[in-house]
Amino acid sequence: MILGRVVGQVWATRRDPRLSRAKLLVIRPHGIYEPPLGTRHLVAIDDVDAGIGDEVVVCLGLPARTSLGSNDTPVDAAVLGVVDRVELDEGQLSPAGAAPGIRRPLAAAVVTEGRR
Amino acid sequence: MLLGRVVGRLWAARQADSLSGRKLLLVRPEGASGETARLVVAVDGLNAGPGDRVIVAHGSRVRDLTVGPDVADKDIVIGIVDGTELAR
Repeated sequence: MILGRVVGQVWATRRDPRLSRAKLLVIRPHGIYEPPLGTRHLVAIDDVDAGIGDEVVVCLGLPARTSLGSNDTPVDAAVLGVVDRVELDEGQLSPAGAAPGIRRPLAAAVVTEGRR
Repeated sequence: MLLGRVVGRLWAARQADSLSGRKLLLVRPEGASGETARLVVAVDGLNAGPGDRVIVAHGSRVRDLTVGPDVADKDIVIGIVDGTELAR
């Protein structure tokens, strides 16, 4: 799972039918995760009604596919929670590159408070 | 998934059997720049065309579910964007 901020919403009428009417959000991940291809964003389906400006937890892969209740949703990212508060001790973080997708050390500024 | 714009189509005279008959799109991911800016060759299941903004999902299960397990590409167009609202 990764932590990020909702920076936008996408509307797409022509979409794979298994996505039904799921909301699609644009997420800017925090510095501990970089999306592939240098895009600095990722698109995730939203089942928890997050909004622009919310800090969210996004899961990738299989749990994202099952987030709408079945195993056949053709997505690779889903918002699973809206964050109330994050506290990080920077000294306890793993070194950069310790896991797939983690390339940069976390910025000190990423102690953040959600909307609620 | 990622947001991108379709910048072209791709044809190949000689290609793997699993790609024959598949419409291949060149997608430029939005927000990418510099060294990491590259194009994605995505399989089109929705009849998108050059100029369209699309949502591209990645992965073998996504591929299995949309265009079938025999296709040799794991980047699939799953949505054609009508519009976006992006925060400053």
